[in-house]
Order: sequence, then structure tokens, then C-alpha cells
Amino acid sequence: MALTACSSSGSKSSGSSSSGNVTLKLLAPDYGTPGGPDSSQKYWQGIVDDFHKANPTITVQVQIVAWTNWDQVATQLQNKQYPDILLGDAPQELAASNLLYPLTDVMSASTISNLIPVFAKQEETDGVAYGAPFTTSSRALFYNKKLFAAAKIASPPKTWADIQTDAAKIKALGNGTIGYGLPLGPEEAQAEAYLWMLGNGGGYVDSSGKYDINSANNIETFNFLTSMVKAGDTEPSPATVNRTKDIWAGFADGTVGMAGGSGALIPSITKAGKLTKDDYGVVTMPGKTGPLTQALAVHDDITAFKSGGHAAQIKQFLDFAYADKYQIQFDNEYSLLPATTSASQSLSASDPVAAGFLATVPNAVVYPTNSNWDTLKSKIQQTIGTAAQGTDPSKVLGALQTFATANN
Amino acid sequence: MTQTTHAGVRGSAPDPGGAPRRPRRKGGLVRALAPLPWIGPATGLILFVVIWPVIAMFQTSREHYSSLGVLVGSAGWNNFTRLFDEADLGGVVVRTVVWVVAVVGATVLISLGVAQLFNKEFPGRRFARWALIAPWAASVVMTSIIFKWMLDPNNGVVYVLLKQLGLVKNFNTNDTNWLGDPTTAFWCAVFVAVFVSIPFTTYALLAGLQAVPSDVYEAAKLDGANPLRTYWSVTLPLLRPALLVAALINVMNVFNSFPIIWELSGGGPGSQSATTTIFMYQLKQSSIGEAAAMSVVNFGFIIVIVLLFLRASKWNSAED
Repeated sequence: MALTACSSSGSKSSGSSSSGNVTLKLLAPDYGTPGGPDSSQKYWQGIVDDFHKANPTITVQVQIVAWTNWDQVATQLQNKQYPDILLGDAPQELAASNLLYPLTDVMSASTISNLIPVFAKQEETDGVAYGAPFTTSSRALFYNKKLFAAAKIASPPKTWADIQTDAAKIKALGNGTIGYGLPLGPEEAQAEAYLWMLGNGGGYVDSSGKYDINSANNIETFNFLTSMVKAGDTEPSPATVNRTKDIWAGFADGTVGMAGGSGALIPSITKAGKLTKDDYGVVTMPGKTGPLTQALAVHDDITAFKSGGHAAQIKQFLDFAYADKYQIQFDNEYSLLPATTSASQSLSASDPVAAGFLATVPNAVVYPTNSNWDTLKSKIQQTIGTAAQGTDPSKVLGALQTFATANN
Repeated sequence: MTQTTHAGVRGSAPDPGGAPRRPRRKGGLVRALAPLPWIGPATGLILFVVIWPVIAMFQTSREHYSSLGVLVGSAGWNNFTRLFDEADLGGVVVRTVVWVVAVVGATVLISLGVAQLFNKEFPGRRFARWALIAPWAASVVMTSIIFKWMLDPNNGVVYVLLKQLGLVKNFNTNDTNWLGDPTTAFWCAVFVAVFVSIPFTTYALLAGLQAVPSDVYEAAKLDGANPLRTYWSVTLPLLRPALLVAALINVMNVFNSFPIIWELSGGGPGSQSATTTIFMYQLKQSSIGEAAAMSVVNFGFIIVIVLLFLRASKWNSAED
């Protein structure tokens, strides 16, 4: 292993593969528990080993970084230690720095045409795609049927007003139960905030794609959230509460009545062992006057770096790794959704829960694709929660709007 | 080696390079370079771990990095303008001053009392002195995490106790939200910071107390001074060198302290419980350059504190 690593770095610096052997570096986050049986290291090592058997001249080295240490990747890029293939954030920022191959250089046309269109469209900068979605998920409202029954609520909520009254009833059960879990802490505030903005006809951008964060609708949304927080319908101080460790863990424990979630919440529920399959339900996220007509769907992307100069080999590997078999294996492992049409079809046929989520995908809303979205996203994660916790929403959202347009 | 020990023994040589033990050989250059093998490694180390990072920090503060770490180009002074335009910065700086003053003040006051106590004979003193080391010996991160758990809004042991006493009605409400509210979170952090700072300060002051000769107390007694007067006019002035060192080292430590606030509240909500050190780290998430600009400002604060320290210690030794 060590020997191949050495020879590869030698051949890399010369820019091509004179000896015929090429080593590709793949960098990916861990969707499971690092070091655990569900670590993504295992998943990728499996693909890489199969690939090496079929293509003995290409070796792929896998480096897995825990999501909690994802900062490390920025440090690596800052020091110009580029991987050949990166699974992670959207391609726009990297493409703007001219570091990436256009997707057509590293993926064959048949694989590209199999990508789910709504996500594939997200990869573009000026009409050229620089990445490909690899895994996706879509958001819905999870509710705890046991708590709903105990609070004598007949049906799951359809509107914001329903959420508010149901949450108050659930909270009144006592014992530390939380009506609606509102994770606006730094982990993923941009998603939770977006779910609520969408319910009031708002969002991060207007119909022409320009940032419109402090629109009247969004401010109204956060005024509503503030009133929910004040009334105690949510946990206190949502701006410091995170999705996975706090709200999803609380939902899995049975102390949270309602929470926005994706399929990835299901394994935590199973693991905690407090709720059975029949104890919770999943419905479309409510909006101000009725359920959202479009779900929020998010995706993580594959990008390929030009620095190593291995376009042809990357293409071979990506075409191999996007096979239905591996897509579905990933989704079964982590309860996420596939990024290809063919894998979606076969998963829909076999898995009713995934089918429910997948049905919402073709029509889904996604994050903006402006080139500074990643930078803005970090700022949103840090600050937007304060708009639901006492700071004037027009100030918080106004500051974000200024940041978004000043750093474009 | 012999040379440095020699200079050390003499203790007063202002120019160690000029303390010749070896005979003068070929000209000035060799002689000038002679100490290099001895001081070279230390100088190299300082250049590598102190000077180089400082230079890199200044460079980074003038560069524009994307949030993914890719160098986009030069930023001029933009990172600084953006930093000074941050709406949160004013509050953060004020909070940092309050943080340093409150933590160091409380630590020194409490430590003065504890040191006085530990300077008296009492049964179990040895055990008490050992026990005081515990908060110092434990990792600060670990201590902070334990406090965070004790204040978990859902089942923190502090709230469980308060609930059994009838002071808290229900979990996961505003009653059990000390770490979510910026004001209470900040004062919880101050408490933890005092808790971990007391051992060092107490031991520094205890050493100072033990160095006070007993005859000055006898003299005070003969002159009829009451205990309060003795403490004020004899103990405190003689304790001044120890007090000053303890206070200034604490000021630097507390100013730079990252883990306590970070673990307890993450500086949140938003940046409402952040000090400049925490704020720097928060900025890093979206802009490495702006975070570096914040570091430069912090570096300026530190330089000022160090100058004060040097001045105070000079004043200290002059008065000795």
C-alpha cells in the first residue's frame, strides 16, 4: 500500500501516467459513525476494490473525514492539497476558482443523462455543469403519534396555526416534552429556516435568482417563529439548538412532538429504540395556509479537480461508481435518496418510505446556486437563529442580505 | 554549554557573547558566530513556531479566501473594513473586557482568601491543598463539557436539583435554559473560568505568603496593629509581586481562553455570548481572511497586555 502511494505521488508530479498506473485520491465525508460498522470508509472501500479488480491500472485511495471535522477539508484546499474527486458541497465556488473539470470531461453522457434533472441543473455555472449530485434527501414533517394521542390531537398539522396549537397541547403534557423542535443552531439552520420561508412564499432568492433574504414575507415568517418561541411552543433558544444532536435525538427519544426531518432521521429512531414504526408519521411540511406544494430537497455533490490531470481515469471511476447497485447500497445504509433516475425507480419499487420521499423530488425546491452560496450559508448558520430569539428579524435578515450582495 | 552556565553563574553578564572562555582565534566573524551552535536551535524554534505564524497571520489577513479555503486573490484592507463593519463587533469587544475583568477580579479575590486559609495550619490541610489542584489538572474542555451536561435543558443535574427543590417547574423551558440565553450563558462561563483559574492563582499567592518573613508580623503585633490593619499594611504590600504576576498571567490566559465559552454556548445565540477569540473562530466559518483580521486585532491586544506586564515586572523588581 505504502509503495503504491509513493509511486503515485511520483507519477502525479510528472503530470501523467508514464508507467500506466494511476492513483486517484477520493475525499468524502462520513455519513455513518467514523470507525463504526456503518462508516462510509467501508462503503467506498468496497466500490474502490471492485473498481480496481476491473481496472488494475487504476488505484483509488479513499480518505474519509467526519462531518464534524469537515473544516479540515478547507484547510487541505487552502494548502493546495487537492483530491482528484471530492464528495461534498456545491461546485460553484470551486468552479469560480477554476479548479474543476467540467462534468462532461469526467463523466460519460449516459451517466450524466441518468442524473435526476432537478439536481443536475443545480451543478451549473453559466450553463456548464462542474459537478454531479451523488446523494440527495428531501424534507418532510415527522410527528410523534404517541404524543399526539396523549394530547388528544386527531390529525397531523396542515398549517402553521395547526403546528402552533398542536405544539402548545404537546408541551402541556409536561415532563420536558417539546412541541415543535426548531433547530436554528449552526449545524443546519439554513435548511430549517428555508422550510419555514417556503411556507410563506419566501425563500433566499426571488424568481430571477437574486438574493431576497429580507423580503417582507421572510420577515413575517421570522416574526411568527419568534411568537412560537416566546409562547414556549418550541424548545427555548432555538439559535443554539442543533439538528442532529439535539432535535433529531430528542425526536428519537420521544420527547419532541414534531420536527422537520429527512429519511436520515429514521436510523436514529430505530437506534434509540423508543419509537416503533407505527409510533411516528411523516407528512408534508405545513405552510402558512396549507402544506408546502414543493418539498425542500438537498444534495451532496461529486466534483473532480483538474490539478492531478487524470480526467480519463476519473471518468472511468465515476461511471463505475454511479451504478444503481452502489447508489442503492448507499441509500439503504444511510436512509438517504439516490441521485440517479434509474436507481430512484428501483428504490421506489422496493422501499415505500423512500418512495414517499422520492415522489416529491422531481418538483422539489433546492438551494440557490449563486457562486457565493457556500460563504453565505456559513453566515446564515451562524446568525439566522437569533431572528427567532429576540433580535429583530428585519435587522438579522437585512444584515444577511447585505452580506449576500456585498460578497457576490 | 559551559559558556552559558558560566554566564548564568555570574548572573550579571549583559553580553553573554562577549564572555570569553575560549581563547581568541581567527578574527571577529568566527568569534561572533561562536555562540550560534548554542543559541541557534532555540532561535530557530522561535522563528518557526512564533515569528513565522505571525507573518502568515498578517499575510492571511490581507488575502481573500473562499469559504472552502481556496485563495481567490488579494483583499487589500477589505477584511479589516468588513470586520469593523460587523454589527456584532462592538458588543463582542465590550464583552471581552467584562469577561477579563470579571474573571480575573473574582479569581484574585477568592484566591487571596483561599491562599490565606491554606497558609494556616489546620487538620486535613494537605488533603485540601491536593484537592484544589484538581480543577487545574483536569482538561479545561473536559471541565466545560461536564458543566454543559450539568446544565442540559432536558435533564441537567443542576435543574434536576432545582426541580426537586421546587424552583424549576418543567424541563426544556426557559427555566432550564441558562446556556441558551446569552446573558446567563456568559455568566455561567465566567463561573467556570473562575473555577479553573483559582488553583494556579491560589498557589502563586500561597508561595508569596510563605515568603513573608514572620518577624514583620511580630513587629506589627508589637506596634499594636489589629489583624485587618496587619493584612492591609503588611501582608498585601509584601504580596504585591506575587499578586501582580498572578493577575497578569491570568489576564493573558483569560483573554485567550477559547474552550470554556465554546463548549458551553458556542458563543451563541449568534455571537451574543462570544469574546473576541470565539468571534474569530466564528468568522472563520465564512471568511478565513476576516478571521485572520480579527486575529491581528487580538494580537494587538496581547502586545499591549505583554507591554503592561513587562513594565509592571520592571516596576516590581525596582521596588524590591
